[in-house]
Amino acid sequence: MSEAQSQSEKPPMVTATIDGQEVTVPKGTNIIEAAKSVEVEIPFYCYHPHLSVPGNCRICQVEVEGAPKLMIGCHTQLTDGMVVKTHKTSELVQKTQASTMELLLINHPLDCTVCDQAGHCKLQDYHFEYNAKPSRFLEYKQNKPKAVPLGSTVMLDGERCIACTRCVRFCDEVTETGEIGLMNRGDRYLISVKEGKELENPLSGTVVDLCPVGALTHRDWRFNTRIWYANPTDSVCTGCSTGCNAKVFERDGQVVQVKARLNSAVNKEWLCDEGRYGFDRFLPRERVLTSSVKGEATSWEEALAKVTPLKNGKTLLLLAPDLTVEEYSLVEAFRERCLQEDSQAVVAYRSRELSRVEEILVSPDYAPNFQGAYFSQERLRPNGAVCESAHREEREQAYENALREVKENTFDNIVFVGDRAVCDQDLADMELLQAISRTPFTLGMLCDREGALYENCTVVLPARSILEKSGLFLNGKFRLQYVDRVVPLAEGAFQHWKIFGEIAASFGKPIVDARSDRDLTLSYLGAEPRVAGITIRQVKNGGIDLLTYVPAQEGESGESSNVEVSKSSE
Amino acid sequence: MSKHKQILLTNVNQPDQHLIEHAIKRGAYERLQKALSLDPLKVIEEVKASQLRGRGGAGFPTGMKWGFVPRDSGKPVYLINNADESEPGTFKDRVLLERDPHLVIEGMLCAAWALQSEWSCIYVRGEYAFPYVRVQRAIEQAYEKGFLGDNVCGSGWKHHMVIHRGAGAYICGEETALLESLEGRKGQPRLKPPFPAVAGYYGCPTVINNVETLSNIPWIIDNGGEAYAAIGVENSTGTKLVSASGHLNTPGVFEVEMGYPLLEFIEQECGGVRDGNALMGVIPGGSSVNVLTAEECEGVRLDYDSLKNAGSSLGCAGFMVMDETTDPIEAVLSLSRFYSHESCGQCTPCREGAHWIEKIFARIARGEGQPGDLELIENLCDQIGGHTICAFGDTMILPYRSFVRKFRQQFRERITQVLKGGESTRNPIDFEIGMH
Repeated sequence: MSEAQSQSEKPPMVTATIDGQEVTVPKGTNIIEAAKSVEVEIPFYCYHPHLSVPGNCRICQVEVEGAPKLMIGCHTQLTDGMVVKTHKTSELVQKTQASTMELLLINHPLDCTVCDQAGHCKLQDYHFEYNAKPSRFLEYKQNKPKAVPLGSTVMLDGERCIACTRCVRFCDEVTETGEIGLMNRGDRYLISVKEGKELENPLSGTVVDLCPVGALTHRDWRFNTRIWYANPTDSVCTGCSTGCNAKVFERDGQVVQVKARLNSAVNKEWLCDEGRYGFDRFLPRERVLTSSVKGEATSWEEALAKVTPLKNGKTLLLLAPDLTVEEYSLVEAFRERCLQEDSQAVVAYRSRELSRVEEILVSPDYAPNFQGAYFSQERLRPNGAVCESAHREEREQAYENALREVKENTFDNIVFVGDRAVCDQDLADMELLQAISRTPFTLGMLCDREGALYENCTVVLPARSILEKSGLFLNGKFRLQYVDRVVPLAEGAFQHWKIFGEIAASFGKPIVDARSDRDLTLSYLGAEPRVAGITIRQVKNGGIDLLTYVPAQEGESGESSNVEVSKSSE
Repeated sequence: MSKHKQILLTNVNQPDQHLIEHAIKRGAYERLQKALSLDPLKVIEEVKASQLRGRGGAGFPTGMKWGFVPRDSGKPVYLINNADESEPGTFKDRVLLERDPHLVIEGMLCAAWALQSEWSCIYVRGEYAFPYVRVQRAIEQAYEKGFLGDNVCGSGWKHHMVIHRGAGAYICGEETALLESLEGRKGQPRLKPPFPAVAGYYGCPTVINNVETLSNIPWIIDNGGEAYAAIGVENSTGTKLVSASGHLNTPGVFEVEMGYPLLEFIEQECGGVRDGNALMGVIPGGSSVNVLTAEECEGVRLDYDSLKNAGSSLGCAGFMVMDETTDPIEAVLSLSRFYSHESCGQCTPCREGAHWIEKIFARIARGEGQPGDLELIENLCDQIGGHTICAFGDTMILPYRSFVRKFRQQFRERITQVLKGGESTRNPIDFEIGMH
C-alpha cells in the first residue's frame, strides 16, 4: 500500500542555480533538461531524452561548483543547491566547447556543399555558435568508406560520422534489432551493419533523424533538394491512429523530406518507414479536379444540382478515417438537418496485424482519426475507463455491418466522404463494388481519379487530400493534435466540410459559416463545450490529452485566447 | 639475490613452482587456511591496517576499496583480478602469473573470502598466451586439490574461478572497460557513477584488483597488517615490483622496498646505464606519467609521495630508462603512436586529439615541424585532459607535455634546423602517416 502511494506521489523536487537563475525540477532531471526549463540551451550530440546516455560527444560540459573538473550535462543529475555555469557565464566552458568543436571537425570532410544535412546540421550550427574559428589542423584527414548502403532505406557516409552512437543505441534499445554497431577503435571508428545483417526494420528511417550530422541519409531523398529551398510544416502523420508528430518539407508541391518531431507523449522522436516514406501516398498522382456526373465532367453548380436525391431515402455516409474532428462534427450536423432520420454515418475502420517492431510505434489500424469520429458522434466526454481495444472492435463492427447492409442494398443513397471511405481490402471485394453500382444514387467526395470508388459513383465532387487540409485530429489515445496543410492547394478541389456546407446551403439549410480551415477550427473550439479553452497553439505544441483535460467553464478565457492566437498569427 | 625483503618473488625462480605439489611444499595455500579461520571483516581490517595501495597504477588503498562493497545488497559480489597488464614498460604481473600462479590464486581466494564472493575471474590480456596456459592449468590443479569448488578446503564456502582472455586492447585495463569486455561488449569505459564497487559486473558489486595487489594478501594474512605496514615508508608500505627496462645493463623485474632511492636502484639492481653512458631521463611509472630528466632524478625515491613531489608518479612502476643517445622526439613519437592506436574512440577529445598529436609529433620527427607546433601540442593537451570519461585522456597527455617541456631545446632545434634548409636525419618512409 505504502509503495503504491509513494508511486502515485509526485517525485521530490530539487532547487539549484543555473547561470544565476534559480531552477526547480523533479529529482533525477539532468542538467541539460533542467537548463532547458529556464531557456538555457546546452549543446549536445549524443544525448537523446529517450535513449541511454553514453556521454561521449563531450560538448555538453558545464561547470559545477565544487567539482574538480567539468561535468557533462547529460549524465549529471541536478542536486539541491548545485551551482551550474554554462557557456553563457563560464569562460572555461566556452573554451571547452570551442575545443570540442575543433576536434570534431578535424577529420570531418567538410563537404557541406554536397551534403544533404547542410542547413539542418548540428555540426554547422554548433560550429557557428560555439567556435567559428578556422581549424589549426594541418595533417591528412582519415579516409573512410562513403555512400555505403546500410539497408534499403539508409545510406552511410563514414567520414561525416562523429560516433555519437545514437543510431546504434536506437537499434539496440528501441527496436531491439541490433543491426548496426560502431566498429574499430580510435579515429578509425566506423558505423557498420553487423556481419550477415542489414538495417531492415519498420522504423529504420528513424536513425537518419537521430543522426545529428550528415552521416546517415535517406536513400529515397538523397540529393533531391537543398533543405533551405523546401518549406517545412509541423504536422502529424495520418497513416494510423498513433498520430506521430512530423516535420514535412515540401518543394514544388512534392514532399521532399519528412522528419520526426520530438513529442514524448506520442512518438518520442520516432517515425515508421511506412509513414515517413509514404507520407505523400495520400496525394494521388491523378487528381479529381472537376465535378462529374456519371463520368461526364460538369460544372460545380450542375453537379450540385444533381445531389438532390439525398433529401429522400435512406442514406449511408461512409466516412474516411482521415477527416478532421471539425468535419466529423459537421457531418453530424448535416446528417441531422439534411438527411432522413434513419440515415447512418459510419467511419471506415479495419484492424491490422503488426509485427513486433511495428508495435513499438504503429497502431493496429489505418484510421488516424477514428476516435475523432467517435468523439463527434457520441457527444460524450472521452472516458479513460473505456478500453481502447473495445472502441476499436466497436468501430470495426459498425463498419462491417454497414458494408453488409450495402451488399443487401438497404440504402437508397451512399455518400463516400474521402478516398479512404472504403478500406483498401474491401475495394477488392467485387460483390461490394457491384452492390455499390446497383445503389440508386452514389455521391463521392474524392481526390483520386484512379481509385475504384471514382468509377462507381453517380456524382463525384472534387475533394482535397488530407495533405491539403488542416484541422484537429484525435489519436487512438484521445490526444487532440493539429494536422497542418503541407502542400499547396490543387486548383478546383475543396475541403470536405466545404462540400457539405455547399450541399446543405443548396438544400436551404446552411450548416457552416467559415471561410478557411482555420476559421472552422476556431469556431469549433469556441462552440464545442468538451474542448472549451483549448487554443490552436496548444494542440500544435504537443497536443492535449482529452482523457485528462478539464474544459474551461463558460465565460472563461477559452474563446478570447483563440482570438488572440488567430490575430497574432495573421 | 636482492638485499630487499621478498614478499612476492620468493619462489619465482623455482622452476617447478607452477606445479601445485611443489608450491604446496613451499607453503602455498597455508595462508588461505588461516584466512578461512578468520572472520571476513577481520581480513579486511588486516588489509586496511597494512595500508596496501593498489599496484595497478592509481594507488588507491585496497582495504578502503573493499570497504565500499555493500554487504547487504542481496546481489552476488564479484572479484576480478586485472591481469590486463598493458601499460608500456610494465611486465611485472607476467612474472607472477607465469612463475607463481598459485600465489596469485591464493591471494584471490583470500580476497574473495574477505568479500564473501563466490565467483572470481582473472582477466588476462590477449597477448599473454603463456601466462594464460600456466594460470589455466593452475586453476585446474587447485580445483583438483579442493582449493576451489563448492567446498573450499572443507570450509563449506563455495568459490569458483575462471580465466578470461582479452582481445588485446590497452583500454581494457581500465576497470569499467574491462567489465564491458567481460560482459561481451566492446571494451569502452563506462560513465561513473555508479562505481564498480556498487554496480559493476552485470550490475553487481564488483572489486577489481591488480595481480600484484592480490598477491600481497597472503603475506599480510600470514604476518599481519602491522608487519606489512612496517615495510617501506609512510604512505607507501610494503614492497613494489619494478619492471625495469630500457638502456640498462641488467633490465628485469625487481622487488624493492618502497622508498628505495631511484638512482641507487639503477646502479645496484639494474647494473647501471648501458655502456657507461650518461642518463638522459627516466619514465618511472609506466608510460602514462611525466618523464623525469637525469637532474630531476637526484634524491628521488621509489615511492608514491617522493615521485609525486618530483612531478611524476609511481604508477605501476614500469621503469623505463633512457640514456644520452636517446632522441626524445622519437621516444615521445613512439608513445604517441601507441596512445593513438589504443584510444578507444568513445570521447571526442581523446579520439581525435590522440591522433592529431601523433601526427604533429610525426611531422616534427621527419623534419617538417613548424613554428607553433609545440604550443599547439600543449594546447591540445589542455583540451584533452579532464574532458574525457576515463583517465586515458588525462594520463596520455602527461608524457607529451613533459617531453615537450623538458626537452624543448631538442624539439626547437629539430624544427628550426629543417626550416633553415638542413637535411632531416630521418628516413621519411618510416613515418608514413596512417600506417596503423
